[in-house]
Amino acid sequence: MENSENKALTRRKITFIVIGSFVVIFLVYYSIMLAASPAKKRNELEAKFGLAEIEKDKIDPRFYSDSAFLRLCKEKTFFQARIIMAGSDSLYITFNLTDSTANLELCGVQLHKAKMKDLRISKILTRGNNYAIYSLLSSPMTIVSDVSTIKKEPIMIKMAPKDTSEFVPDIAPDTSDVEPVNYILQMDNDIKIYIYQIDDTVTTDKHKLFFFDLNDRLKYAMSSLKSVVSFKVPDYHPFIKIRLPKADAKILYRSVPRHGQIAVFR
Amino acid sequence: MENNTITPSDPIPETIHDQGNSDKPSTGNLYGLILSFFQQAKENKRLMNSLRITLRSLIAVLVALFVFVFVLYIVPGFQELSSGGKTRLTSDPELKNDQKYKKQASALTREIQRLSKRYASYTSGQSYIVINTTYNRFFLYNNKKLIREGTCSTGSYKRLQTAEGRSWTFKTPRGQFEIQGKRTNPSWHKPDWAFIEEGLPVPPKDSPLRWEPYVLGDYALDLGDSYMIHGTIYKRQLGMPVTHGCVRMNDEDLEAVFRTLNMGSKVYIF
Repeated sequence: MENSENKALTRRKITFIVIGSFVVIFLVYYSIMLAASPAKKRNELEAKFGLAEIEKDKIDPRFYSDSAFLRLCKEKTFFQARIIMAGSDSLYITFNLTDSTANLELCGVQLHKAKMKDLRISKILTRGNNYAIYSLLSSPMTIVSDVSTIKKEPIMIKMAPKDTSEFVPDIAPDTSDVEPVNYILQMDNDIKIYIYQIDDTVTTDKHKLFFFDLNDRLKYAMSSLKSVVSFKVPDYHPFIKIRLPKADAKILYRSVPRHGQIAVFR
Repeated sequence: MENNTITPSDPIPETIHDQGNSDKPSTGNLYGLILSFFQQAKENKRLMNSLRITLRSLIAVLVALFVFVFVLYIVPGFQELSSGGKTRLTSDPELKNDQKYKKQASALTREIQRLSKRYASYTSGQSYIVINTTYNRFFLYNNKKLIREGTCSTGSYKRLQTAEGRSWTFKTPRGQFEIQGKRTNPSWHKPDWAFIEEGLPVPPKDSPLRWEPYVLGDYALDLGDSYMIHGTIYKRQLGMPVTHGCVRMNDEDLEAVFRTLNMGSKVYIF
């Protein structure tokens, strides 16, 4: 009797150890694969945007490691990007990461300016190959998709009355600005722009931001898991995380078209 | 003085009081209490089983939580640590003296100046108005300087739907517009939705019933497609999104806007 109990206990212990080891090994494997993803992305960027061999004859590659020269190049391409967007006749955003400003512009006219309160940039964008990153950010990027805590257009449906007896005059709308404003813009060049409101003194806003951020992390973890189980290095999305005052964040999100354009100066 | 020392073999006292503090049990007593609890639990198989299950569940939850935090927060952190390559930004004086470098840098500077001038020329030196529909505010500019700002009312974002399937969305369009007409003492030519919204029969297009004077204020500036900047009799609602797509202003602001903007002046709505 005691012997069979001991055997069951040993079996349980072995099962526990096997499962535990498997989980630990998988976590280590998962971590290694994810840690390798930025390097893969960096190689991709260098292959796509790096200085080509033919160009090296025209431009000395050393120039792009010179901070003053690189800044001139970036300034030039930022103006070029804004001129291209100004010709599009739709609202666009420019992020100047050097002076921490976000601007809403239309046809070359600055309509709204917001000061960033906090800024975090993916290290790949700050420490990657200078020329490749400069080339990546040199042209306007287009919003492919977005996830947000607020509606782009807060449309309310109102059914028309059949006659005057059914008519109810409109009451003053509720203009209390209670919804937290957080959104993520996925750009066509694979950069993810996170815009979170800074005014999160309200506890519910903090909770909502936590769950909004958690949802994004879960999505990424799920897509990474899929890649990892099929022995592929997962995709890495370079990011720009910006904290803005709520009103500014709302203005930018509501104003820019669903597939609007953004230029970044770094 | 009572002897409060507890040995594992002692029965559990109902209440144990510290000598100095009658409300809190002392650390020694607490230890004894725990010991005696486990002693009793050892003897009680059911209690021991439930304790074991609770402990295992707790460990399982903690492990799951750790895996969760590890996958969602720690691993992406590792990712960022591993993504930092080496930036090789220099400021080499030797390179700066290179003739080719000098030539290219000065060409770049000239190009930046040209582009900067070109971009600055997009902002008109004439008068223009900027309207913020998210927060219902306007900004009037002249010679690139802000000369007036205030509240206005823009589209309500209501979609009026009829049983027959017709619908109208009352939103102020965003983009660049021009002043296409300026009118004083304007009358409103009511469109179909103005009747449908109130449950009234829609009169023919040329019916005099469609004309309503005095509701648009003293001035109206046409933006095209029947959108206007005009006055209002509902002044309390200024600053709110209540219109059918037009921009409403109070009398003083409207007069200033009317006098500042000319035919062809730009209107930027965002």
